Amino acid sequence: MSADPRRASLDARTLAWLRESPQSWRCDEARFASLALDLFAFQFQHCAPYRRFCERRGRMPERVAQWREIPAVPAGAFKEMALRSFPAECEAHVFRTSGTSGERRGALRLDTLELYEASLLAAFLRGVLPDLAPGERARIRVLAPSPREAPDSSLSHMFGVVLRELGDTASGFDVQAGALQVDGLVAALEKATADGVAVALCGTAFAFVHLLDAFAERGARIPLPPASRVMETGGFKGRAREMSRDALYQGIGHALAVAPERIVNQYGMTELGSQFYDSVLGDPGRARRKLAPPWTRVRLVDPETTGGDARPGAAGVVTIFDLANTGSVLAIQTADLGRAIEDGFEVIGREPGAEARGCSIAADEMLAR
Amino acid sequence: MSAPQVRGALARLRDLGRRLRERRAADVHAALADVLDAWCAPASPWQSALADALPAVSGYSVEMVREGLARGLAPYTGSALHALVRDELGGPERQDAMRGPRVDGFACAATVLAGAIPLPAIVAISAPLALRTPVLVKPSMHDPVSAALFARSLAARDPLLGACVEIATFHRDDAESLAALCEAECVVANGSDAAVAAIGRCFEVSRAYAAAAPRRFVGYGHRFSLAMLGSDATRGGALARAAAALARDVALWDQLGCLSPLAVYVVGADRGAAGRVAEALAGALAAAEERWPRGRIEPTVAAAIARERAEAEMRDATVLAARGTEWSIVCEADAQRRGAPLHRFVRVLPSASVTTCLAALRPQGGQLAAVALAGFGADASEIGAALAEMGASRVCTPGAMQSPPLGWPRDNLRVLLPLARFGDLECE
Repeated sequence: MSADPRRASLDARTLAWLRESPQSWRCDEARFASLALDLFAFQFQHCAPYRRFCERRGRMPERVAQWREIPAVPAGAFKEMALRSFPAECEAHVFRTSGTSGERRGALRLDTLELYEASLLAAFLRGVLPDLAPGERARIRVLAPSPREAPDSSLSHMFGVVLRELGDTASGFDVQAGALQVDGLVAALEKATADGVAVALCGTAFAFVHLLDAFAERGARIPLPPASRVMETGGFKGRAREMSRDALYQGIGHALAVAPERIVNQYGMTELGSQFYDSVLGDPGRARRKLAPPWTRVRLVDPETTGGDARPGAAGVVTIFDLANTGSVLAIQTADLGRAIEDGFEVIGREPGAEARGCSIAADEMLAR
Repeated sequence: MSAPQVRGALARLRDLGRRLRERRAADVHAALADVLDAWCAPASPWQSALADALPAVSGYSVEMVREGLARGLAPYTGSALHALVRDELGGPERQDAMRGPRVDGFACAATVLAGAIPLPAIVAISAPLALRTPVLVKPSMHDPVSAALFARSLAARDPLLGACVEIATFHRDDAESLAALCEAECVVANGSDAAVAAIGRCFEVSRAYAAAAPRRFVGYGHRFSLAMLGSDATRGGALARAAAALARDVALWDQLGCLSPLAVYVVGADRGAAGRVAEALAGALAAAEERWPRGRIEPTVAAAIARERAEAEMRDATVLAARGTEWSIVCEADAQRRGAPLHRFVRVLPSASVTTCLAALRPQGGQLAAVALAGFGADASEIGAALAEMGASRVCTPGAMQSPPLGWPRDNLRVLLPLARFGDLECE
């Protein structure tokens, strides 16, 4: 817990919310607004780059009456500066964004992992294991490196916490030294199938592509027990091979007999303390959409205007207000576009390999050279 | 167009090519020159027709397309074509020579176009025809009109020449049709490095089973351009002129072309120079928006612009921008490389000296197209030579970036030479 009493109080209020049962999630607007405005005032005072940013926009705490008006930091700023709301000497953990060699990587700096872990567990339970009874553990296999292999990966850390808190003794990581351990994974899945134990198979989308390739090479197919599920996350940026989500889900269905309605996409990013899961398991029977934990809010901002909401049904920049980000900045403007669906949202991906309109080298392409 | 239809088109074009090569090269050049003159004339009905058709399919504004075509086509004259033939091939007589040096084209060419800048389509069709090589053109999905309209103008002047151009429309992911297209004797690919490489691989595969005729692959990748202003161009009237000229270079084709400047380096000037350049450029871009409005953009582009602006604010850079996303200038405190969302987004970067500026650019030299120079006085030639050595295929003045000469050696390649085969007939 922070030595700063104001921060400690904010953390305690947020933690109390994070630790409430995921089964009883409800949208408490007043509670969110109160915490968000208090946290904004605290971060404005303690994070100098953020304070300058807010002042440029004339959005000081005394002029911000609603959480929607809190200035959102572009996620790319985490590559350029240390955005922390605590003294540098209190830094206890740093998660870094992925990136190619030579490319700058964004960094989420934390003085405590308590809120981070409480948030990820609650969201994972609600999104991936909503049927897990209290005290029960699940069979979880992870297609990602362990936190020991990738100590600065927030995703590996997340899976490590999930395994520690929710996994049974046969759960584990199936990526080692950067390679998918196909033999070990096949053995683990076959054992689970033989024992009739449902599996939660989790990993990056690209790891699943590797898995499907490996299964295709071997002519392998392991129909998992009916209650099994898949959680995939991440895209294909910088990868040699791209696959549409539909094709990926179709491949998973063929190889593992897991239907699309049991495949959950997770939307998360290093810069955020909370993650967003598809509703297919947590709220089945309705449209697939990302659900926001109650201590977060998602605004879809019209990119053509300065801060206005996107029209209903139109694409907007996904802007997230996350109370779990007590140590950094709570409002983040992501690089993604999204669209509102009922009480949630969907992230709109760029069409793989979309044709350029011109012959000039654009942003990411030039920087990636 | 299906793969069999593509093969059918190539077969027709090869037949027509035999008829075309029965003509004297000079006659073919004369007809081509007439067509180019018809296009570059100020009141050209062809220009006008393209300006009417292109905005709807490309998203550009009509006003910008009119200005872009007028400026871009001005150097594409008939006499420029004749000069190009003399310069690169040694004259039309070499194409008909029975002794001594001789120049030939290929039985048939196929060109894959990219993007929505119409001028490359005109060069892509004229160049093989000047070598009496018929050409199958696959237009970009963003500009299905320019190549077809140019083919119509050829047919209006010379039916055989017009028939020697066919348009192949198929989706870029149609591997079978692309493979069929790559059976042409000469394949020219435009696009991103990845797209060009993919077409090159396709050409190599087709080489294995294609007829034993001479074959060639030519690729043009994506490039970028920039401007460098010396201290003489950072004050008073010189700054105003440079800013207005650069704003037009940025505005034309909405900064999507490889000749559009993405950044302006303010070199060796005083501390406030970059800020003055940014201010002047902001005024000029606002004026340009009035005259030549930016076209429509995708939400992803608008989001990228909003993101780049916000990131600049976070690092305390000066951001001068329209209320919407129509134009943006970020005056950076350093010359570090950063993203370029295009669509009229310019970074103004300070650089302590020419030496440091060139050193910063060197890692990207292979992707450089044009550099506009102003304010360097007598040093301009030396700087231009250094940029050319580094990889720039064009060094020009601000305002001239979107009007390259017909003979501009894009990607450091000549216009006709890559499509030509040279022989020496030494018999008596």
